[in-house]
Amino acid sequence: MKNLTAAAPAPVPAGRPPVRPGLGDRLKVLIRYPETGITAVAIVIAIVFEALNNAFLSSEVPVLLASTAQYGLIAVGEAMLMITGEIDLSAAKIYSTTPFFAFYLSAAGVPWPAAVPLALVGAAGIGWVNGFITVRLGVPSLIATLGMLFLLNGAILTVSHSQPARTPESFINVLLGSDQQNAGTGISQIAAFLWLVAIALAFAVVLRRTRFGLHTIAVGSNLLAARELGIRTQRTKILNFVLMAVLAGFAGIIEACASGSIDPSAGDNTLTLYAIASAVIGGTSLFGGSGTVIGALIGAFVVASLNDGLPLVGAQAGFADVPLGIAIVVAMILNIKLTALRVRQV
Amino acid sequence: MSSGNGAAPGPPPGSGVVPALGDAALLLRAEGVTKNYGPSIVLRGLDLQIARGEVLALVGDNGAGKSTFIKILSGFHAPTSGTLYWEGRATVLTSPTQARALGIETVYQDLALVNDLTVAQNMFLGREPIKRVLGVLPLTDAKAMRLRTREFLDQVGIRLASVDSLVRDLSGGQRQSIAVARAMQSQPKLLIMDEPLAALGVREGAHVLDLVQEIRRRREVSIILIVHNYSQIFQVCDRINFLFAGEIVLDVATSAITEEELIRMVKAGLGAQAAARPAGSGS
Ligand SMILES: Nc1ncnc2c1ncn2[C@@H]1O[C@H](COP(=O)(O)OP(=O)(O)O)[C@@H](O)[C@H]1O
Ligand SMILES: [Mg+2]
Repeated sequence: MKNLTAAAPAPVPAGRPPVRPGLGDRLKVLIRYPETGITAVAIVIAIVFEALNNAFLSSEVPVLLASTAQYGLIAVGEAMLMITGEIDLSAAKIYSTTPFFAFYLSAAGVPWPAAVPLALVGAAGIGWVNGFITVRLGVPSLIATLGMLFLLNGAILTVSHSQPARTPESFINVLLGSDQQNAGTGISQIAAFLWLVAIALAFAVVLRRTRFGLHTIAVGSNLLAARELGIRTQRTKILNFVLMAVLAGFAGIIEACASGSIDPSAGDNTLTLYAIASAVIGGTSLFGGSGTVIGALIGAFVVASLNDGLPLVGAQAGFADVPLGIAIVVAMILNIKLTALRVRQV
Repeated sequence: MSSGNGAAPGPPPGSGVVPALGDAALLLRAEGVTKNYGPSIVLRGLDLQIARGEVLALVGDNGAGKSTFIKILSGFHAPTSGTLYWEGRATVLTSPTQARALGIETVYQDLALVNDLTVAQNMFLGREPIKRVLGVLPLTDAKAMRLRTREFLDQVGIRLASVDSLVRDLSGGQRQSIAVARAMQSQPKLLIMDEPLAALGVREGAHVLDLVQEIRRRREVSIILIVHNYSQIFQVCDRINFLFAGEIVLDVATSAITEEELIRMVKAGLGAQAAARPAGSGS
């Protein structure tokens, strides 16, 4: 099949001749990146809040970053999962269950280097069940994970008798470079955020530069095509459920360390919703196929800014949900429109 | 149903002569392939064979089961019963990956392209080259994918502004060209194309036919081509198999019949012939 160069004229009209891109073209190229919009929004929010309360960036940043870490870790998992066309509503409950796994293991004498990873294996197991029920049994993930949400909620409240536990000192030391005294202070909060940044960057690479990542996109974008090409579609989806659960579990352990206590009511379901909101305003579509991990990270920062920042600049508690609600819908509309608007490069 | 050493699946009397093929020349033989989707029977004992380097046209009405049969050859569907002989050996295809590894490449009717991936990523989807970063991390070799895609598209005369474009942004003809190019790229032994000309304009379609002709001239790759246009078939195919009611009812060399004769036969009702046969009771 070589030496076909002589064959026939080009079947496809040649594209526009390469021209040096002007500023306008460069801006148009930016539109191609789904992270562009959310980054602009994040910058505007930071500037506005700093203008309204000039202590915002200096004093509130650790709190903000800690919230960003909470939403963000789950949002990264949701973004990946939403790219496959699925969703996990039980994330917040995996978040509250996993630290208990670690706590009980630790109480039973398992040292922390084993207790934390084993707890995450437990979280992975929950994710696998979610994935199995969705993919193999054909239950929509919305329903499968809704069931898991209530199951875990009931189980953890019962087992813990609704009582919080103290986070073992060793966990805090290792994960946040802090101790029980400093739990909840700036150092541990920034450490939590650094965990998020490292993990989000890793997942961004996984999504774009590994076979698993490309198959994740393929499965969500065109399931039939993925199957026709021999991609193991079921395994790809289930693995994303597992990763989602491990991320949620890890977020829970980080939070247990940052706050110094393991609280059975810590994983409120709004946490899941904030995480999904982060992914959506970050540019991930629920239709599957398109999405971005970095966008989810920045989205989490925006959600945290609205939640934590608006009260600081004088808004009533709870008001933050108003712009957030609008942002979610607007982001989705933009997502749909931008796909249609995207400059034809070919 | 035919039996024995590579005898052609019995052509109806009066059709063109199909030379019997020795086993060495045979690339693929399907014997008694049936396929049911639940209660509905789509293939009822299909016999077909293709020699090395041969270009075979598979024709039949919409809904005749052409795509279903193609998907059995590509490892996507398991047949309900029947046997495939690949290079003389009875072979059970359990997945598209296995079929691709054997050298069976398919251009599916739906093209099997992923809109949210780039042209280069689509060209290698399911078999991405890997490079180890820091000796361990298995990352896809994006640079190699881009480079090889660009080289190959140049080679087969398909021009795109960028192999980094999302497939979503391509025209119908470009998409079809990419799907065809992807199947040819890995130098398969058997190239299956399910209506590869459907979305192509006259010029693009002619180009794909030129590529088929070029492959045929070299006699290294066998092709099963599903096309509806008889003059295109006579232009590039060695043999025609007509699928009706789940069976091959006509197997004829293009050299043994003229286009006009074939059209007359089809009009006179290959279907009637099939219905008259005991196995093909559906009409
Ligand atoms: N996955 C499927 N499930 C059930 N029926 C199917 C499926 N795929 C195809 N069919 C049916 O099988 C018959 C043959 O379809 P197909 O192989 O696509 O025909 P062709 O490609 O010759 O037009 C049609 O009646 C079609 O409706
Ligand atoms: Mg078809």
